[in-house]
Amino acid sequence: MARDRKIQGDKIAQGLTRRQLIELEACARCGECQVWCPVYAQDKRECITARGKLHSLRRLVEEGLPEDEKREFLEALYECSACGQCHIVCPVRINTPELWEQSRLSLANAGIPQPEGQIKQLATIKEFNNSFGKPQKERGLWAKTAWETGLLKSPLPLWRDHPTPLIYFAGCTASFEPIMQSVAVQTARLLQEAGVEFSVLGEDEPCCVSKLRRMGDSDFPLEAKKRLNQLEGMGITTVVVSCAGCFKGLHSDYSKLWPEKIHVIHLTQFLDHLVQEHRLRMEHEVPMVVTYHDPCHLGRHNRIYEEPRRILRAIPGLRLVEMTRHRAFSSCCGMGGGLKVANPEIQHKMGAERIREAESTGAEAIVTPCQTCSLGLMHGADEAGSDMKVYHLNEMIVRSVCPEAAREEITSAFAKAAAR
Amino acid sequence: MIDIPAVNYPKPWLLFWATVVLAHGYMDYTLYQKWKNWNQGITQSPANRGRWGRALKIWAAEVFLQRQLFGLSSFRWLIHLLIVFGFIALAFLSLSTFFLKLSDYLGVGRVVTHYFLQDNGYIFIKVWGDSFGLALLLGLVIAGVRRFALRPEQQINNQTDVFLLLFLLWLTLSGFMLEGLRLALVPAELARYSFIGRFFIPPGTYTIEELKPWLTLLWILHSFTGVGILVYLPHSKLLHSILSPLVIAMNALEEQERRDLYWPEIEKYRATKLPRG
Repeated sequence: MARDRKIQGDKIAQGLTRRQLIELEACARCGECQVWCPVYAQDKRECITARGKLHSLRRLVEEGLPEDEKREFLEALYECSACGQCHIVCPVRINTPELWEQSRLSLANAGIPQPEGQIKQLATIKEFNNSFGKPQKERGLWAKTAWETGLLKSPLPLWRDHPTPLIYFAGCTASFEPIMQSVAVQTARLLQEAGVEFSVLGEDEPCCVSKLRRMGDSDFPLEAKKRLNQLEGMGITTVVVSCAGCFKGLHSDYSKLWPEKIHVIHLTQFLDHLVQEHRLRMEHEVPMVVTYHDPCHLGRHNRIYEEPRRILRAIPGLRLVEMTRHRAFSSCCGMGGGLKVANPEIQHKMGAERIREAESTGAEAIVTPCQTCSLGLMHGADEAGSDMKVYHLNEMIVRSVCPEAAREEITSAFAKAAAR
Repeated sequence: MIDIPAVNYPKPWLLFWATVVLAHGYMDYTLYQKWKNWNQGITQSPANRGRWGRALKIWAAEVFLQRQLFGLSSFRWLIHLLIVFGFIALAFLSLSTFFLKLSDYLGVGRVVTHYFLQDNGYIFIKVWGDSFGLALLLGLVIAGVRRFALRPEQQINNQTDVFLLLFLLWLTLSGFMLEGLRLALVPAELARYSFIGRFFIPPGTYTIEELKPWLTLLWILHSFTGVGILVYLPHSKLLHSILSPLVIAMNALEEQERRDLYWPEIEKYRATKLPRG
């Protein structure tokens, strides 16, 4: 028994980096991670904190854990959105999000699989090339519908018909999730308004597979390489993404494995550039008070804090107020790291807490530049029973640039099209 | 030239050094075993090879100035700084005086040994020892008050935490007690430089013969407690005193581009330091 545990411990150790193994013992147990952890705020168990997880993982590697403790540790490891807040506040600078992801991978390789829900999700991504389990043929339908319903200035060119060096990568959520398709439509419309020459991939658009990395699937490098080869083979040089999760995957995870060959930029960076160059003319007043939610993958993980704020400040009539926790201290909505799949209840509570924080600023809406965070915050608003409006950043820009493409218009046009 | 009376009493040097060698050997072996385990892991080459200057700057700010802790809480920063620098300075003093006495015995570097053992340098040593001893003592007492009286929610206290705190407290107090006992045999005009140690002078007048057994006993207790640290270090929270700077150095090399992480804007950092309520 003890020998089996040791063998398993060694296997886990071999799947972690040397620095990560040292980090397991470097924790000073100060508990700063506990103070800031958005999951611990909902589930006050020591095992949830980075301190607790580090302690258990160290024991698992060194001597193994009794079954009940092991179960609790695994629960905690997957009940984590890998938001990176603990990394930011840790006095020892332990790189926790990277450690949790690598641990999940290493545990799976050592025969300790992910929770059932995550396994299903991973299989779906690999089978359908999207996380919604829908046929790829439906991926590009939003673009067709948007043109047919008059929401776009011109039909969106498909890359295969009209190859361009720059593409808009909508991502699974904006392509398949009905309440988030407005994000894709608005992005396309704004790029058209600014006169950007671009195309979309339609049914050729792959899933970025970053969720494979988040949940510790060993196929991630293989699947990611396939996608990278596909994009490179097409001669694409620049990819604009509107999802923070896709951005983290395509920009940060891919470039860790292979030198960055394709320039991946987030929509906020691109729109900020267009606003600075006066290519997006924000003429209509948007008389609103809004607060801004920094997505973890955009903010803490990639340091994109200023661009979205600059855009919001450029909108006439709009006033931006900050929440207590913002920028590097933005509280996670719970949608990342596979947490939503592993424990949706906790995600709803985390989203609700963020909504309550937004309410306390006096803002009438919370704005975020990520479709996945938008969805998470909407769950949060439902959970909190709040009337707080949740908008993607696009909505604010569209209201100023081309109000006819506002979310309500898109939703109603798409509903009518679906009814036909 | 100061007239410094010699306070000689028996010290079991042989036993002490034998214990030091054994304890050090044990610590080295335990750390080597750990190193072997860590080496099972995947080796990553630093992402920013060649930018050592910047990495060193980050490391110094994080390790010596404890910048991150300062950003989180100046109170905790102060406690940690008092303990860390108090401990390091006293360990350095112990080693230095050992080498000074050894040099004096061997007749090497007479100018230096004379200055520190029989001249004004003696005052410097006494003031140094008491200043950093006080820093360590204060740090430990405040840490104890914070941990056990203020009890912040984030702090977990287990037996090892209590033991470590008491262990270090005993090491500090026994040092002052030994100093106090020695000062009982030193003229008052010299004892005043040990501005904390003099509060530990026992009341009354004593001869060296009367105090010898107590001096020896306290020396043994203090010195062997110090050696105990070597044995306890790899198994305790103290290990972070070695590993934290190492991790910070590795992270500084691998992630130095993360300016928000390594050079946070302290004011903004503090403005948002209360995450809930």
